[in-house]
Amino acid sequence: MSANPSSNPGGKRRRIRKMLVDRGIDVVLLVFSLLMLLPLVFLVSNGFKTPQEMLAWPPTIIPANPTIDNFAAVLQGTPLLRWIFNSIAFAVLSTLAILATSSIAGYILAKFRYRSLNVIFALVLATAIVPFEVYMIPLYFQAQSLGILNSLWGLLLGYLVMSFGIFLIRQNVIHSIPDELLEAARIDGAGELWIFFRIVLPLLRGALGALGVLAFFQAWTAFAWPMIVATNREAYTIEVGLALFQTGFTVDLGRLSAASALVLIPSISLFVILRRNFVQGVASTGLKE
Amino acid sequence: MAAVEIRNVAKSFGPTDIIRNVNVEVPDGAFVVLVGPSGCGKSTLLRMIAGLEDIDKGEIVIGGRVINDVEPKHRDIAMVFQNYALYPHMTIAENMGFSLRLAKQSKTEIARRVGDAARILGLTDYLHRFPKQLSGGQRQRVAMGRAIVRQPQVFLFDEPLSNLDAKLRVQMRGELKDMHARFKTTTIYVTHDQIEAMTMADLIVVMRDGVVEQIGSPLDLYDFPANMFVGSFIGSPAMNFLTGTVRQHDGQQVFETGSGFRLPVAAGAGASNGLAATLGIRPEHLTLSSRGEGLGGKIVTIEPTGSETFVVVQLGADKISALLRQRLTASIGDELWLAPQAGTTHLFDSATTKRLVSA
Repeated sequence: MSANPSSNPGGKRRRIRKMLVDRGIDVVLLVFSLLMLLPLVFLVSNGFKTPQEMLAWPPTIIPANPTIDNFAAVLQGTPLLRWIFNSIAFAVLSTLAILATSSIAGYILAKFRYRSLNVIFALVLATAIVPFEVYMIPLYFQAQSLGILNSLWGLLLGYLVMSFGIFLIRQNVIHSIPDELLEAARIDGAGELWIFFRIVLPLLRGALGALGVLAFFQAWTAFAWPMIVATNREAYTIEVGLALFQTGFTVDLGRLSAASALVLIPSISLFVILRRNFVQGVASTGLKE
Repeated sequence: MAAVEIRNVAKSFGPTDIIRNVNVEVPDGAFVVLVGPSGCGKSTLLRMIAGLEDIDKGEIVIGGRVINDVEPKHRDIAMVFQNYALYPHMTIAENMGFSLRLAKQSKTEIARRVGDAARILGLTDYLHRFPKQLSGGQRQRVAMGRAIVRQPQVFLFDEPLSNLDAKLRVQMRGELKDMHARFKTTTIYVTHDQIEAMTMADLIVVMRDGVVEQIGSPLDLYDFPANMFVGSFIGSPAMNFLTGTVRQHDGQQVFETGSGFRLPVAAGAGASNGLAATLGIRPEHLTLSSRGEGLGGKIVTIEPTGSETFVVVQLGADKISALLRQRLTASIGDELWLAPQAGTTHLFDSATTKRLVSA
């Protein structure tokens, strides 16, 4: 075709038009992605600015007099690393707990037929429509009576089970693991635990990866619960810690930016590592909390 | 190898009876096919033998041992599923060796037995691939290989060929038969396809609505169907049924169809005069006859395939189909006379649908 364009003038025009449309789409996407990235870029650059430059107009992307005073102040004046550690420990343990509870409960709800399981599944779904704020206070008193306020266990109390995760795994098991596979394994001589660990879990890798990312970010961005369960500074998570920079009357922009920039490092690294799972998780469920 | 006995077995799901008092004896080393329309309970019966469904009543015996309460893995059986049920995350070799690994066999023993089975099934080159990289026929072979390596007492097959295309199905049918000839392992095979049943079975069990309608060798079922259901289910194209009455005519017992045609009934058929009956005639047992002899009517369909011709003729209210070996130069609307070959028709009691005797 392309060897003799004169024989097909319409084809060439169509190709050019298609190319222009493609470029147009690229430009629109590029503009929007820049708009979405800009706040992050400013956040990082503000961390390096002096207070005067931060309030200057027009704002600069690259600081004129870069300074690391903000970072030094944050790291010296607040237990920021401790908060990051708390957040990571909280998010990792919560993710592991949610993966474990979701995979076991989701598998059982999908593949075992007892009438009582339907009731349990309905209850699990029902908890998803109760806002956390409704049972936050009772949960606090529970944590208090257990004596786990201001500890990792207290943080985890509300984040061990995720009803959406159970639902996600149940749907995934129903869709991707036929009964015959489990029956074949039973005939082959596998016990129920063996089947779960050697057949069900490996086949759920994709779904568990997606759920893991969702669970991690749910815990990482949790605010209300860590806020009420952690009452001393050392027990804060990073989200709560960052809020300290904003009081009712002032916002310490320099230190807030510096701390936020530091906090971005772990979440961005995790996102880079797991971005395929993340996209898959959002795409396969069409839902993101 | 072992014989399998199914004694007075029953099963219901809630109020629905799936299996009603079934008795089947599978001789040691036999190839037995359970056949019937979908929903007849054949798969459920197979799953009860495998231990995947509980047995509500009766007992199932494998090799002299009642296995009602024995776990599937201790029944010494291997099952091949319709969708193959290969473990997607394991290689072909791992799939085939899975049961041996669970049985704590040594690695060399597993490799030897998997290698043997792979050689028999022509899978040697695929042992390190994953199931999704194989074609349907190859996956089917892997599923068979997984069954073979266990060297079980009984093979159970649940519609293993229904996911394959027609040509591959014929080929795999042959391979399954070869495999049975080679290992002589007792085999119970479920299908809804009567051709599969006829070509593979030593013994066919025809089921309907949870009841065994007839048990017999393929040709027994073809020649002596116990009732109208077996008559219509076995054989292709399906048997014609003409309703009518048994009468006395010219000193002879005859069958008179609703449209007034008379066909002879063998003496000693045991039918009383006036009995409302149904005559079954297989399409391949009809031949061309001269005008006024047998059954006649206008052709509604004619399908020549070269070796044979399939015609459908309208007989008053009834239609009758015939498969003729003779060349037929006729077209739709022409009159055609057909007569059944002597001794090939079947007389059924219309009330009970049971076969009286060859008419």
